[in-house]
Amino acid sequence: MYITIQKKDLGTYAHMAARFSAKQHTTLPALGSIVIVAGADGIRFRATNLEIGIDCTVPGEIRSEGVVAVPSKIFEEFISSLGGEGTVTLERKGEVLSVNSGKVRSTLKTVPYEDFPTLPFPPKGADSLTLPAATFKGLVDAVLPSASVSTVRPELASVYLYTEGGMMTAVATDSFRLAEKRASIANARDFSALIPAKNAGDLVSALRDDADVTLASAEHQLALYQGGTVVTTRVVSASYPDYRQIIPKESVASATILRKDFEQALKKISVFADAFQKVRVSFETKKKIFSLFAKNPDVGEATEDIPAALTGEQAEVSFNFRYLQGALPALSAESIVITASGTGRATTVRGVGDSSFLYIVMPMNQ
Amino acid sequence: MDRSNPKELWEHILTQIELSVSPANFNTWFTQSSIARIEDGIIYIGVPSQFYRDWFLKKFHSLLLKIVRTVSVEFRNIEYVIVKDERRKPRETKVDRATTEMPLDEYYINKSDNLNPRYTFDSFVVGSFNELAFTAAKAALERPGIVYNPLFVYGDTGRGKTHLTQAIGNQFKKQYPNRKVFYLTSEKFAVDYTDSIGAGTANRFKEKYRQYDLLIMDDIHFLSKKEKSQEELFHLFNALYDNNKQIVFSSDRNPALIPDIAERLRSRFAMGMTVDIGEPDSESRAAILKRKAGLHGLVLSDDAVEYLANSVPGSIRELEGVLNSIVCQAQLKGGVPDLADIKQSLRTLARPSKAVSVKQVVTKVAEFYGIDEESIYEKTRRREVVRPRQVIMYLLREDFNVSYPTIGTKLGGRDHTTVIHSCEKVKRDILSDQGLLDEIQKIRTLVG
Repeated sequence: MYITIQKKDLGTYAHMAARFSAKQHTTLPALGSIVIVAGADGIRFRATNLEIGIDCTVPGEIRSEGVVAVPSKIFEEFISSLGGEGTVTLERKGEVLSVNSGKVRSTLKTVPYEDFPTLPFPPKGADSLTLPAATFKGLVDAVLPSASVSTVRPELASVYLYTEGGMMTAVATDSFRLAEKRASIANARDFSALIPAKNAGDLVSALRDDADVTLASAEHQLALYQGGTVVTTRVVSASYPDYRQIIPKESVASATILRKDFEQALKKISVFADAFQKVRVSFETKKKIFSLFAKNPDVGEATEDIPAALTGEQAEVSFNFRYLQGALPALSAESIVITASGTGRATTVRGVGDSSFLYIVMPMNQ
Repeated sequence: MDRSNPKELWEHILTQIELSVSPANFNTWFTQSSIARIEDGIIYIGVPSQFYRDWFLKKFHSLLLKIVRTVSVEFRNIEYVIVKDERRKPRETKVDRATTEMPLDEYYINKSDNLNPRYTFDSFVVGSFNELAFTAAKAALERPGIVYNPLFVYGDTGRGKTHLTQAIGNQFKKQYPNRKVFYLTSEKFAVDYTDSIGAGTANRFKEKYRQYDLLIMDDIHFLSKKEKSQEELFHLFNALYDNNKQIVFSSDRNPALIPDIAERLRSRFAMGMTVDIGEPDSESRAAILKRKAGLHGLVLSDDAVEYLANSVPGSIRELEGVLNSIVCQAQLKGGVPDLADIKQSLRTLARPSKAVSVKQVVTKVAEFYGIDEESIYEKTRRREVVRPRQVIMYLLREDFNVSYPTIGTKLGGRDHTTVIHSCEKVKRDILSDQGLLDEIQKIRTLVG
């Protein structure tokens, strides 16, 4: 194998593929490697950790065809350190790959590529769904932080995606808070999938914002096609709870505040939060005050009033402040509405004039 | 080695494989796999994902076949299935005990069969009132489609019909993993039918329901007067019945008493086994309470259970509702609630949840105070109208659980904050004003 690739391209694709190979030391070296294939359909990089996989076309020139597998971490690190303009030649010489660029000459030990598995890519078909990649990434990114980190319940350690009524909806919850993001899409076919949360970030990282992505799913697998790149992930085959039943219908107290004010106050007050990370939120309708309060017997206490428009009754609810903070990155509106629905019940956070994002957070027991 | 024992067979295969593949390959591909089952000479190997399935097929299939054939020529083939494996399941790591959890568990529904996995025979409390239905359900499962077909379960709402019929579905799935179950309500069936007519896919509709080995149709009485849907069900019934597919129906009354049902359908409902679930006696109610409280991790004292079983009127569902509130309060306060706590919370909970129209309440209250009904809806602040209006709001909120905004809209487009204010005012006033309290009690008897 003898190929030439622009340094910039090589860097981009090596970085992209490396995310899909096994990060920890694995027993099978092929899983910790990038497989470089130079063949009839161009230069392709492949990598997998058996959870996710990638197969991408890399622009370049093939002088002679062949296959080689190199340890992904070392390869990526070396390539990214080359810097500057120009081309890189990759040539296989027996058990080593020689990588040359300008005055840099190196040889890299290869690993047996025969052990590299075939990647399950469900084929594109009539029931595939195509949408702008930016929309898809926006959906996933908005809810991903709310997914459960524990995989005891695999469906909650996932991002749930489904289409309904011309909209695609992404949902994630760890049962303490829940995020839902909706976007309208053209040609919304029936689609639903549970993407493991730990895979979702890597998957969308391989997508470019300025093109469409096609989602092709099979019973246990989902593939995303974009240009010459295909990525795939295992999907969770479990049922997702009918989470809409959780969305509170009643409101006890509601406050409209500036997102910025809330974010800053939360940052200050949470310094004083106790071991349970508790922050108390007060809706003092009569005094027209919305305030945050935290107290830690070992540290002290702090409170801050935030200018707010209040409706409803007097209410006090305590939260783990991290769950409140979790709502903020996905809220793009300048003003937000926080609505409490009573003791022990869920509280919602929404952006004013933005119906696409909903965040639900559960209160603390005491 | 017992070659029909999946575990022993897999052990044998592993020792053979280990000799043929590198340790790295062995550890990567084989340690997370096992034989899921052996059926008709086909060995089903359970693997974690499609990555594994594809690679097994490509790389190890012929090797595995060779190994199993040396064990026995009876093994015709090997297939690979993606399974969840309990061994791969991580140990529970609770992250946050201080925050209340969302009651998500109650909202799991399996999309392919509509069953809620929470409803099982294990969680079904059997008492004298439902013993017959329970036994019939078990018997029907032993020889589905043959002994009791159809199985018709009836009883008042909230007595566990849905639990029992769904438990049949879940048990059926467990007992016969290759057969298909479907659960739906008769309403859903009717809607589905009308939709399919509208979309011109009536044939697909017919095929869809005919493929099931067990069809459970809940609340069949909702089909009354829906003639077209009844006819469709009649044909579906015959198709399933002739092929010995099990059918389970539930209804709130005996098939003979369902109004406006075609006679030919009625006779078919009753041709298998008809069982009723009666009124639960107080021992059964106590047993149910204990079981449900246990599911929430709450151990109630015997006298508390007895008190609840006897003093909460109505169905099991209402009983469960009361229990849920008690559990919620126990979590808030910490500790186990005793009899006094429960009595206290029952007092706050005891609200007749009867549906009533706003208009009805307005009429009765206006009548009681001797004022014009229309003036309630007007924007007048005359004293003789203000009080009755506040009382109406209070009653709607306290006794009938109508939401604040709804009350506001129904009473002449008032802001919900006004409603909240009124309710709070009445609540405060009755504490000091015995006359007002008496008036409200009288109105309650009028409205109730």
